[in-house]
Amino acid sequence: MNEKIKHMNLFLDHQIQLCKQHAIELQEEERRDEANFQKIKANVYDIFKTILSVAQKTGSGNPETVKQFFLEKMKQIPANWKTAYEAARLHDHTENMLIEKIKLDTAAEIEHEFLSCWEGMK
Amino acid sequence: MTETEAIRLFKCLADKSRLQILKSLMLEDMYVERLAQRLGLTPPTVSFHLKKLTEANVVTPYKSQYYMIYRLNRDIFETSILEILKEKSDDADIQLQRENAYRQKVIASFFEYGKLKSIPTQKKKERIVLEVIAESFQYDRLYTEREVNLIIADYYDDFCTIRRDMVGEKLLARNTDGYWRFKKEKEEN
Repeated sequence: MNEKIKHMNLFLDHQIQLCKQHAIELQEEERRDEANFQKIKANVYDIFKTILSVAQKTGSGNPETVKQFFLEKMKQIPANWKTAYEAARLHDHTENMLIEKIKLDTAAEIEHEFLSCWEGMK
Repeated sequence: MTETEAIRLFKCLADKSRLQILKSLMLEDMYVERLAQRLGLTPPTVSFHLKKLTEANVVTPYKSQYYMIYRLNRDIFETSILEILKEKSDDADIQLQRENAYRQKVIASFFEYGKLKSIPTQKKKERIVLEVIAESFQYDRLYTEREVNLIIADYYDDFCTIRRDMVGEKLLARNTDGYWRFKKEKEEN
């Protein structure tokens, strides 16, 4: 299981680094709004890095418990974003819609990576 | 063009992606997906920028069949920067603009999609919030307490506190017959 956790942490760290780098580049190009969107993305990776660390502690060595805990949070946290997205859509608030979509897409990407790592690695 | 409009315009233009969008629209009117393809951005990002450009009155959307097409407002670019600089800044206007900006900031912080998130602790901010709610009441109409509660409940669950504070702030007046929206002297004239 330690290999899986290590893989996920590497993935999340890499993505955070990529987003931060991209944000710097966008800021230098005077694309500040898009740079902020990259920072939001980086925050989402960071949130789930923390969740993974809590899952590891809670699971105390049991891969199934870690998996269940992580997937449960993967449902709970984006549920609020989904609600916020719907509210923004209802009020035609393009900026909020985009922010919530970025968060939801990033969460979906993390979930996909987690599942392929957890199911794929021995 | 007022100072506020000029600032909004310059802020809006100070972004490379938005400038690229405008350059594309110089060639011809375009829809979101086409712009996204040309500029290598995602359609939601292009929509976001177009919304900002629309708010700054730089582009105008119009519907054509199934698509929302965007057109450059060429008129706005015919205003020279010198003309903008020649505009006089009235002190009273600036003061009013500051007050309005503060008011908008408070409203944006405490309301989300028309619902009050919490009652501000600061008196000045609470007054602004209560004034927003007071706008839902008509002048020269008597409301029962139940009607008042229902109107306030649309904004905030604790309608008793809000109702009491609105009376305290002289936004609503009451007697044994019911409640009515209080008129300031200048509103009466």
